Amino acid sequence: MMKKTKAILVTVFVVGVLLCLGASPALAAGDKVLRIAMDAADISDIHPHFAHTTQDRAVVHLIFNGLVRYKTGDISRFEPDLAESWEVSADGKVWTFHLRKGVMVHPWKGNPGYELTSEDVVYSFQSAANPAKSGFAGGYVGMSFEAVDRYTVRITLEKPMSETLFLPKVADYMGGLIIPKKPAEELGEGFRTHPVGTGPFIFKKYLPKEKVITVRNEKYFRGVPKLKGVEVFFMSDLSSRKFGLRSKELDVIEGPPSQPWVEEMQALPGVKVDVFGPGEAGVLYFNVTKKPFDDIRVRRAIAYSISRDEVATTIGKAIAAPIYSQIPPPQTGFLTRAEAKLRGQQEGKDLLYDLDRNKAKKLLAEAGFPQGFTTKFYMTERGEYAIPMQNVVAQLRESGIDAKMITVDHATYHHNIRADMNTIVLYNCWRASADMKLTHFYHSDSIVVTGKKPITNFIHLGKVDVDGDGKVDSIDYLIEAAREMLDAQGQRALWQEAQYKLLDWCVSYPLFIKRFTYARQKYVDWGYDLKSTLILSPQINELTSISK
Amino acid sequence: MIAYTIRRILIAIPTLIIVLTITFVLVRIAPGDPAEVRLGDYATKESVEALRKEMGLDKPMWIQYLETLEGLFQGDFGRSMLNGRPISEEIKRSLPYTLELTLMGIIFGAIFGIPTGVYTALKRNTLSDYVGRTLSLAGLSFPTFYLGILLMFAFSIKIPIFPVVGGGDIHNLADNLYHLVLPGLTLGLIMTAYVTRMARSSVLNTLNEDYVRTARAKGLTERKVIYKHLLRNALLAITALIGVYAIVLIGGSVMVEIVFSRPGLGKMMIGALKQRDYTTLQAVMIIFASLVVFVNLITDLTYGLIDPRVRYK
Repeated sequence: MMKKTKAILVTVFVVGVLLCLGASPALAAGDKVLRIAMDAADISDIHPHFAHTTQDRAVVHLIFNGLVRYKTGDISRFEPDLAESWEVSADGKVWTFHLRKGVMVHPWKGNPGYELTSEDVVYSFQSAANPAKSGFAGGYVGMSFEAVDRYTVRITLEKPMSETLFLPKVADYMGGLIIPKKPAEELGEGFRTHPVGTGPFIFKKYLPKEKVITVRNEKYFRGVPKLKGVEVFFMSDLSSRKFGLRSKELDVIEGPPSQPWVEEMQALPGVKVDVFGPGEAGVLYFNVTKKPFDDIRVRRAIAYSISRDEVATTIGKAIAAPIYSQIPPPQTGFLTRAEAKLRGQQEGKDLLYDLDRNKAKKLLAEAGFPQGFTTKFYMTERGEYAIPMQNVVAQLRESGIDAKMITVDHATYHHNIRADMNTIVLYNCWRASADMKLTHFYHSDSIVVTGKKPITNFIHLGKVDVDGDGKVDSIDYLIEAAREMLDAQGQRALWQEAQYKLLDWCVSYPLFIKRFTYARQKYVDWGYDLKSTLILSPQINELTSISK
Repeated sequence: MIAYTIRRILIAIPTLIIVLTITFVLVRIAPGDPAEVRLGDYATKESVEALRKEMGLDKPMWIQYLETLEGLFQGDFGRSMLNGRPISEEIKRSLPYTLELTLMGIIFGAIFGIPTGVYTALKRNTLSDYVGRTLSLAGLSFPTFYLGILLMFAFSIKIPIFPVVGGGDIHNLADNLYHLVLPGLTLGLIMTAYVTRMARSSVLNTLNEDYVRTARAKGLTERKVIYKHLLRNALLAITALIGVYAIVLIGGSVMVEIVFSRPGLGKMMIGALKQRDYTTLQAVMIIFASLVVFVNLITDLTYGLIDPRVRYK
C-alpha cells in the first residue's frame, strides 16, 4: 500500500516537473514580440474616440493614424500622416487635406480590409464630433466635414483657427485618430473592444484583465514593422512589473514618478530607463469662493510658504522640475522664470513667489490670521499627487497654515473636486494646447458645477472678484481673442498676458513639471529619439525593434 | 441528502440577495461616477449625461435595483459599464483562474499542513513540535502579498524557474500549471500554517479518546493506531476547518492575483472598484458570495463521507 502511494507521488512529481519544463520554451527568447506592461488593471476603452487613459492610448496608438501626426518622439513638430499635404484658406476657416493613396484598413472578422478614402475620414470626424459617440466631441464644435473627392477632405470652421490650435484636432491624438467607416459601423459596440484602424499593428485579441495582443500590419503604408507584434499587459502592481522585467518576461515597464525607482532600475544590468516629456504640470488651484481663499493676501502667503525646488526634489531630481507659469514648458505660450521675473519688475510686482516665510507670515497677519489658519481638503491616494502634496502641507505648516488632507481613492477625488468640495486642488495634467489648458482651468464657462460647460475651473475665475477691487475678474476675453488669432506671435503674447494676470492674482500656483518614467531591456530600440510623446508612454511603431 | 442540498441552496438565495443589495447601495452612494470615469477629463457635460442615460444611471435607484434583480433571476449579469462587454463572458474567463488558484492553495495546504500537524502533535513538546508551531505562527502572520513577492524574488529572479506574469493559457494545461505554481504556493503556504495548527490540535484531542487507548491496549501497531483510528477521526474536524479556511483563501486570492497579475475575479473586482464599474462589481460580489455558500455546502456534505454517523435532515 505504502509503495503504491509513493509510486503515485513520484509519478505526479515527475509529470509536474515535465509539464513545467515543457511550458518553459513558451517564454524562450528569439521571438520579436515586444511586451510592455502598463500600470493598470485593465483597459478602460480602446475605441480611440473614448480612450483617455494612458493604457488605452498605448493600445490605440499602435492601431490608428491621424491626418497629421506629432513627430514621433518629439511633440514640438507636426508631420504628414494619412494626409500627405494640406492647405488652409487665407481667413483660416477652410482646411483642405490630400490623403495618401494606398493606405489599407486592417482586415477584421473575415473582411479583408480596403483602401482608406475621404469617406472614412469624414465619417470619423463626424463621429468624433458627436457627443453620443465620442468623449472628445467638445473639441469639434463649429466644424463641418466634407469629402471633396476620393482623396480630398475639406474641413470648414465657423471661426478661424491658427495652425497651432487646429492641427492637434486632426493629429494622431484623441478625436483626430481616424476610425474607418465600414468596420466601425459593422462592429458597432464591438468596436470598443475590437478596434480596426490603419496603423502599424493590427488588433488581434483582447484578454480582459490581462493583455491586448496585436500583430504587425504587413501592408502598413510606412513599411512593414520590424516587430512581429506588440503585447500590452495590464499590471497594476509595481513589484510584479519589476520582477517581470528582471525575469525578461517583459521588455518594457511603466514606472512610477520616483527617483529611487529610477536609480534602482538604472543599476540593473541590461536595463535602461527612459525619462521623457512632455510631462504633467502640477498646479495648485485655490477655490476663491471659500474662505479664507477669497483673500489675495492669504493665497500669496501660501505661495510664499512653498519652495518649488523642495517639492520637485521630493518627487525626484531626474523626474521633476519647478515651473513658473500655468502653461508648462515646452508648450507654446509658457513663461520662463526670467520672463515672469522681468514682467514683475516692469510692473513693480513679484510674479515668482519664491520661498519667503517672513513675507508669508506678514501677509497672513495682514489678512487677520497672525497665528495661521486651518483648512481641510480631499486628496487622492495616488502617489504622484499625494507625495508632492504631503511636502506642500509640511511646508505650509512652517508658516502656521494647517492644511489637513482627507485621503480618498482616485475616482472619489476627481468626483469631489468637480463637485466643488475642495478649498485647494492639486491637479497634474498635460493638455494638448495652451488654449485647452486655459479654457479648461480658467474660463468662466468651465467653472465646476455652475459653469455653462463645467470642466475644471476650480477657482471660479470669471464669476468673482479675486483681487479685492470689487470687480469681477476674468481672462475669458484673452482666451477667446487668442483662440481666433491667426498670427502665432500675437497668439502666444495673449496667452502669456493671461498668465501674467493669473500670477498677479495668485489664483493658482504652478509647482512642477513631472516627466514619465519607463524601464526597458537594452535590446529594445525605439527606432527614434524619445524626448516627448503625447500618449504619455513610449510610442511603438514600425521602426521599433528588438535586437537579441 | 438531495433534499438537504436543495434546501441549503434555497436558503442561500436570500443571503445572495442581501449581498447584492448591500453592494448595490454601497457602490452607488460612494462618490464617483462610471460615466465620468469612462469619458475622462475632456468630456462635455452633454456627453456625460448621454452616457449616464445609456447606462441607465438617470433612472431612480429603486428602478435600477429591480432591473438588476430581474436580470439576475434570468441569469443575466448585464454588461460592463466600462467596456460594454457582457459580464458573464468576463466572469467565465476569470472564474477558472480564481478557482484553480484557491484549489491549488487548498491542495498545497493539505499536503504540507496535515502531515506537519499530525507529526508535531505526535511529537508534542519536543523540538520538532516547537519548530513546527513557530513556523505555522509565522505563516499566519505573513501578509499574502509580501510572501508572493518573496517567492517571486526567490524563484523567478534568483533561481529563474517560474514565471511571474499572468495566469498562462487556460486552454494549455502545461502553461497554465506552470503559471500556477508560485501563486498557488503563496496561498498554499498560508493555508499550510492554518492546517498545521488545526491538524495538531485535532490530533491532540483525539489522542486522549477511549478508542485510541483501546486500540493500543489490544496490541495494534502504532502505525495502525494512527492511520486507522486516530487520523480518520481527526480528519473530520480538519475537513470542517479546511472548508472554513478555503473561504479565507478565496479572499486571499484577491491580493495574490494582483501581485501575480492573474486575470481572475480578484483583479476584476479591484479594477471595477477603481473604475466605478457598478454592474461588474455587483456581479463579482455575487460570485464571491456564491463561492462561499458553495464551499460551506461542500464542507457540510463532506462530513457525511468521512463520518457515517452524520445524518442530513
